[in-house]
Amino acid sequence: MLRVLAQILFVVAVFLVLRELFLNAGFNLGQRNEDLSFDFMRTRAGFGIKEHIIAYSPNQSFVRAFLVAATNSMFVAAVGIALTTILGIIIGVARLSPNWLLRKMAQVYVEIVRNVPLLVQVIFWYSGVILTIPRIQDSLSLFGIAFVSNRGAAVPGIEGGADFNVWFLFALAGIIAAAAVRRYRTKLHDETGQPHYRFLFGTATFLVVAAAGYLLLGDPFSIRVPEQEVRGYAGGLQFSPEFAGILIALVLYTAAFIGEIVRGSILAVEKGQKEAAEALGLRPGQQLRLVVLPQAMRVAIPPINNQYLNLWKNTSLAFAIAFPDLINITTTMINQGGAELQIFSLVVLTYLGVSLLISLVMNIVNRTVALRGAKL
Amino acid sequence: MSDRRVGPGLQEDVGIPTFDDRERALGAAPVVEPATPAEWVRENLFSSRFNTVITLVVGSLLGFFLYQISKFVFVTAEWAVVANNLRGFMVGPFPVEQIWRVWVSAYVVAVLGGLSAGASPNRITWTRRKRVVGVLVAIVATVLVVLLVDTMLVLTLTFGVVATAAAMLFVGRRQGGRLRRPLLVAWLLSFPAIMVLVVGFGGVSPRLWGGFFFNLVAATVGIFLSFPIGILLALGRRSSLPAVRSFSVVFIEIFRGVPLVAWLIFSKFVVGLLLPPQMNEPPDIIKALIVMTFFSAAYVAEIVRGGLQGIHEGQYEAARALGLSTTRMMAFVVLPQALRSTIPAMISHFISLYKDTALFVAIQVTDLLAAARRSAVGLQYFGRIKETLLFAGLLFWIVAFSMSRWSQRLETRLGVGIR
Repeated sequence: MLRVLAQILFVVAVFLVLRELFLNAGFNLGQRNEDLSFDFMRTRAGFGIKEHIIAYSPNQSFVRAFLVAATNSMFVAAVGIALTTILGIIIGVARLSPNWLLRKMAQVYVEIVRNVPLLVQVIFWYSGVILTIPRIQDSLSLFGIAFVSNRGAAVPGIEGGADFNVWFLFALAGIIAAAAVRRYRTKLHDETGQPHYRFLFGTATFLVVAAAGYLLLGDPFSIRVPEQEVRGYAGGLQFSPEFAGILIALVLYTAAFIGEIVRGSILAVEKGQKEAAEALGLRPGQQLRLVVLPQAMRVAIPPINNQYLNLWKNTSLAFAIAFPDLINITTTMINQGGAELQIFSLVVLTYLGVSLLISLVMNIVNRTVALRGAKL
Repeated sequence: MSDRRVGPGLQEDVGIPTFDDRERALGAAPVVEPATPAEWVRENLFSSRFNTVITLVVGSLLGFFLYQISKFVFVTAEWAVVANNLRGFMVGPFPVEQIWRVWVSAYVVAVLGGLSAGASPNRITWTRRKRVVGVLVAIVATVLVVLLVDTMLVLTLTFGVVATAAAMLFVGRRQGGRLRRPLLVAWLLSFPAIMVLVVGFGGVSPRLWGGFFFNLVAATVGIFLSFPIGILLALGRRSSLPAVRSFSVVFIEIFRGVPLVAWLIFSKFVVGLLLPPQMNEPPDIIKALIVMTFFSAAYVAEIVRGGLQGIHEGQYEAARALGLSTTRMMAFVVLPQALRSTIPAMISHFISLYKDTALFVAIQVTDLLAAARRSAVGLQYFGRIKETLLFAGLLFWIVAFSMSRWSQRLETRLGVGIR
């Protein structure tokens, strides 16, 4: 009885506080002739966004601008997660290297990077390093096909022709065929014991199908080499200095944490496992790749998931170098048209939604890794 | 083992070897030292062909970096940008005639810190290597301070802080364990006392706080205030009352799922809307500090929850059997054990909270980072941002690194995860 009463009291108290806040918001907005509707999202945004993955022009709506911001943030996070994982594993392994110099250097790296605020690093890479490299007139170029200057970087990219989408289906078919061939080779290997070469066979299958598609459709895409112009680059894949700044800082920072996680989980793998691998005659690289790392991953995945979530949330630091991320664009939106509450609730939902998505994917990965262990 | 009272700062300083000391001595394998330096080099750097390649590659990279860095630090850099803006770096827009308030606070912290370090039962065992490193660090720090500080008064006051801390260290050693309890009380009181000293009696409003001083104050505020709220949230999340539980879950997950920058923007733009219209709007800094406290509390709650999950069922049952009420059971049996096991995670959260105070530039607070950016904008030192950022980074790093080292020592002393 007392418990029920306490809960009712609690709920009523929370409700009263929320109601008060809501009424205040309504009153304050009423004073400014605004309301809590989302209608403004359909109106013309009117501001330009320098970088966008999905098409955008200032004549489009606030909804579109918000989507541009969200996809920009997600793109940074996706590329960042891929790169930081690789670098993190390298650092983690280097921390345990028998080579004293490498080990110490990895340690110094981790101790420096972990203990300096990420924002300091973001600004350092952007203002201190990237903006001080040669100006566009004296771009550094790599054999005339890739350029780097303080206006950004440009590398050769794929430019789709008319039948690019059709060719994409061919590529998809190639991947499926490659998977089938790989499975077949594995089965053959299990049954007869002959070497599987499954990676080689799989890649070859994919290449054959993709090339056939290319020849059948007749130039569905071409590789475009960027050209240097007065104010920037034309064609190819281009990266802005802002994108590079936030990406480099995020990758280097998160990799230090992932490195420590990888190191910890390698240490958590029983010593006997490595000794057994050694006794089987595996080379040091194979011991690591085939025996130690797969087991370490099992321990490492939950904390690495946390780091991925941190990386996703840390993309918000891009505001400091004017990369058009969620925070940057939504602050612009607030400054333009008010509607703070509505926009902020969208920001919260986006961050929560993507965090949930990352956790979901990592849970699936975790389950497959754990499953393999259970089969043994 | 059972005769030792173990808890933060409560360990008895006994001279006889304890069980785990002996165990550790037995368990440690004899370290085989290579006979000559040449042998050491061969073993650690050139043991195999692959190893040799790594050494050469890493070595040349290291040489390149060291050359570039030292060239920058000693030749190209113009450190005057730091020396001439030092006040901006340390206290930002804090009025000059009130700076004595900051100095007094620094001396209070130096006295307490020195006493605590002296009274602490785990003293640093000075090996030869540690001595060399210590002396080197002291020399570098002295040179830096002397080069950067240009007025005699500030120089004297700075070395005064160090001297006070050192003197108190010796006093603390003399007094030993007797001081521990009063010190705990003094630390707890020092925080509100410093706040009163800075703000009260014609002091400085939070609007004018800035520089490194702001980062330290913001981190301390966040740590102090978020701790109790976090514990309440953690207990709420494990409560048997569904209403309380779901409220805690929603609160924690929303605050954790959204980055601090977004919350700071929220504090600046949205909080004002939610407050009663007749109320005077508090300064941005205060609103931001409150929101940051909630943000941090959500993280603290998850850490404490982890600690609570590690408490054995039997502890609850035993407390019940003794006839303790729920409140007493939590306060005297469950929480002390749970909190002890969370110390490493808690400190690492506090380190990241401290680093996160750099994000206050998002709401135009002139903290250390903002000062670094700002001083490289003026005409005289235009583009000298590498210097200013390196200096700011160094200051941030010193505190964060010391905290993480302190946490490691605490962890070994408390034997977290061993018992």
